[in-house]
Amino acid sequence: MASAWCWSCLSRLRPTPRAIFPSPSAGTRITSAPFHSTATQYAQPVKKKANSLTQVKYRQGQTLRRKKKKTVERSRPPAVGERKAMRKRIVLSNPNALEVEGMQDLSAETMIDARLRGSVLGLPVPMLDQLRAVQAFQPKQGWSLFRRPGTVMRRDAVEMGRLFAKISGEGEEAEKGQVVKRVITGLKGSGKTVHLLQAMAMGFLKNWVVITVPDARELVSGDTGYTPIEGSKPTQYIQPNATSALLNRTVEANREVMSTLRVSQQHPALKGLKPNSTLEDLAKLGFSDAALSWPVFQALWTELTATSPAPGLEKNFQPRPPMVVTVDGLAHWMGESAYRASDFTPVHAHDLVFVKHFLSLLEPGSSLKNGGMVLYATSTSNSPSSYSLEVALDQITARQEGIEVSSPEYPQPEPYSKADTRVLDVFKPQKPSGKEGALELQKLGGLTREETRGFLEYFARSGLLREDVNEKWVSDKWSLSGGGIIGELEKAGRHLRAPAERIPTAEAQV
Amino acid sequence: MVFILGVNFPERNLLKKSLQTFFGVGNDTSSRLLARFNIHPTCRVGELANKQVLDLTAVLSDMKIENDLRREVLNDIKRLKETGTYRGRRHALGLPVRGQRTRTQIKTPVRLNRMERRL
Repeated sequence: MASAWCWSCLSRLRPTPRAIFPSPSAGTRITSAPFHSTATQYAQPVKKKANSLTQVKYRQGQTLRRKKKKTVERSRPPAVGERKAMRKRIVLSNPNALEVEGMQDLSAETMIDARLRGSVLGLPVPMLDQLRAVQAFQPKQGWSLFRRPGTVMRRDAVEMGRLFAKISGEGEEAEKGQVVKRVITGLKGSGKTVHLLQAMAMGFLKNWVVITVPDARELVSGDTGYTPIEGSKPTQYIQPNATSALLNRTVEANREVMSTLRVSQQHPALKGLKPNSTLEDLAKLGFSDAALSWPVFQALWTELTATSPAPGLEKNFQPRPPMVVTVDGLAHWMGESAYRASDFTPVHAHDLVFVKHFLSLLEPGSSLKNGGMVLYATSTSNSPSSYSLEVALDQITARQEGIEVSSPEYPQPEPYSKADTRVLDVFKPQKPSGKEGALELQKLGGLTREETRGFLEYFARSGLLREDVNEKWVSDKWSLSGGGIIGELEKAGRHLRAPAERIPTAEAQV
Repeated sequence: MVFILGVNFPERNLLKKSLQTFFGVGNDTSSRLLARFNIHPTCRVGELANKQVLDLTAVLSDMKIENDLRREVLNDIKRLKETGTYRGRRHALGLPVRGQRTRTQIKTPVRLNRMERRL
C-alpha cells in the first residue's frame, strides 16, 4: 500500500481510493501540472459551489432564478364574444316551472282594468321578440324562474295604462297628442326598469313607435366610436355605431308600424332615398353605412314627429302614431364622458348629439309632436354619483309639491359645490304648454300588501314557493322587504324551500 | 394585420396597448394620440380607417421614440460620465444615481448601470 504521506512536501495525502486505476469508461481526467507526486486522478471531486441563495455576492446580479412552471395545456379558451354572450344571455322561460292557470295576458283591455291590480299579467308571446329587440329584459332579472314572463300590475302600471289609453285617444277623458315627460326614480329593486318594460309593452300593444336606450352608460363610457361634427361650436360629436344600433333595434321592434308609414318630408341629405319608400327602408339606409346613421336618424325623427306632409308629398302621408321613448340609467348622462376632445379635455356628455337629442325631449316645445311618453329612469345599481342630478331631481320634487322657484325653501345647489349648470338647465322649470305636460318626477315605492299578496301567489302558483300564502305570512314578507320593495320580495319568493318532512306520529304508526 | 410605423399589429389587439409597445409611448402619450384623432379608448386595431392609420403613423414618425429616444438617453448618460459628474460616476460604478441607500435593494442599478450601458 502506498504511503499516506507525500514524499516531496511531507503533507498528508488523502487515503488512497479503493480503485487505484480508474476504469477506462470513467473518461479521461486532466492530468496536467500535478503538484503532488500522487496522480490527480485520486483527488476527490471538486466540491460543488454553495447555493447562490446562501452565498451573498455584492454588486453582482443576485436575481433569484427559478425555473418557470410549464404551463399546462388546457382546453381552448372560449371563442371571441362567447363569454359576453353568456353573460348577456336572457332566458325567458323555464320548462320546469308550473304553468299558472288562468293568468291573463297584458292587452289593451287588461292594462287599464283596475280590478286586475295586484295580479301578474303575462306578456303576450308574439310581443316577446319585439321586447327582446329593444332590450327591455335585463340579464339579472328573474325571468328564467317562470314558465313565461309576466309583470305585476301595480298601481303605477295601471295608472300608466290609463295614460296610454288617454294619449291614444280612447275613453272619456281622451287627450290625443298629449305628451307626458317623466323621470322615474326609486329605491334599489323598486322596479324602475320593469316599469319601463311595461311602458314598452303597452306601447307595442297600442301600435306606438317604441324607441329605447337600454343602457345610457354605453354612450358615454368610450366604448363606441365618435366623430366630431365639423364647424360646430362647442364641438359636438356623433356616435355612428351607437346610432346604427339604435336604428337597428328600432326597426326590429317597430317593423309593423314603420313598414306602413311612408316618407312624407324632403331629405336632401339622403341621396339614396327613393320618394315612395317606407320609414323602414329609410332607417335601413343607416344600418350598412355607419357614417350615414346620424343623418338617417334625424330624418327618421322628423318623419315620426311630422304633423303634416311636405308640399308635393301629400299622398304618402298618414298620421304618425305617438311614441314611447325610454332611457335607463340617466345619471350616466349627467357629467363628463370618457371621450376626449382633440386637445385632451374631457367631452361633456351633453356634447354628444345622441345624448343631447334625447335630453332635449325633456325641454318644452321640441318634444314629441304627435304625443307620447318620455320616460327616463335612474338606476341605483349602476349609477355614477352626480350631485347636480340630485339637486335637479330635488328641485322637480319641490315644484311638484308647489314650492315656488323664488321661495327660499326651493332647493338650490350648495354655494361652493360646483354644480354642473348644464345638468341643472336640462331640468329647469318649464311651463306646461298646450298638450305638453311639465316634467314630472315619479318615485316608485313598494307594493301595497294586496299587490304583494298577488305577486307572491304568482310564485306559489308557479311551484316556486311551497308556503301557505296567507295574510300573516304576506304581511311578514312585506315588512321584511322594506315595505314591499319588489326586488326584495322576489328574493323572498325565489328561495325554494322544501316542505318540512312530517314526523310520523304514534297514531299513524299504529 | 395593420401596419403602424412599420410594425404589424393583429387586428384584435387594442390600439392603445399596441401604441404602447413602442419605446417612449406610454399611457399618457397613447391616450393623447387617440384623443387627437378622435379614436375611442377601447378601439381595436382592426376598426381603424385607413386615414387614421396613416395619420397615426405620420405623427409617430415625427416623435422621438424607439431607437432615437434610446440613443438620446444613452448620450445623456455618456455625457454625465465624460464630464466626471457624481451622477456619471455612479452610473459607471453600477450604483444608484439618485441618492438611494446601497445597503440593500439595488438590484436595478446593479443590473443596468455599467460602463457600456444598454437600454
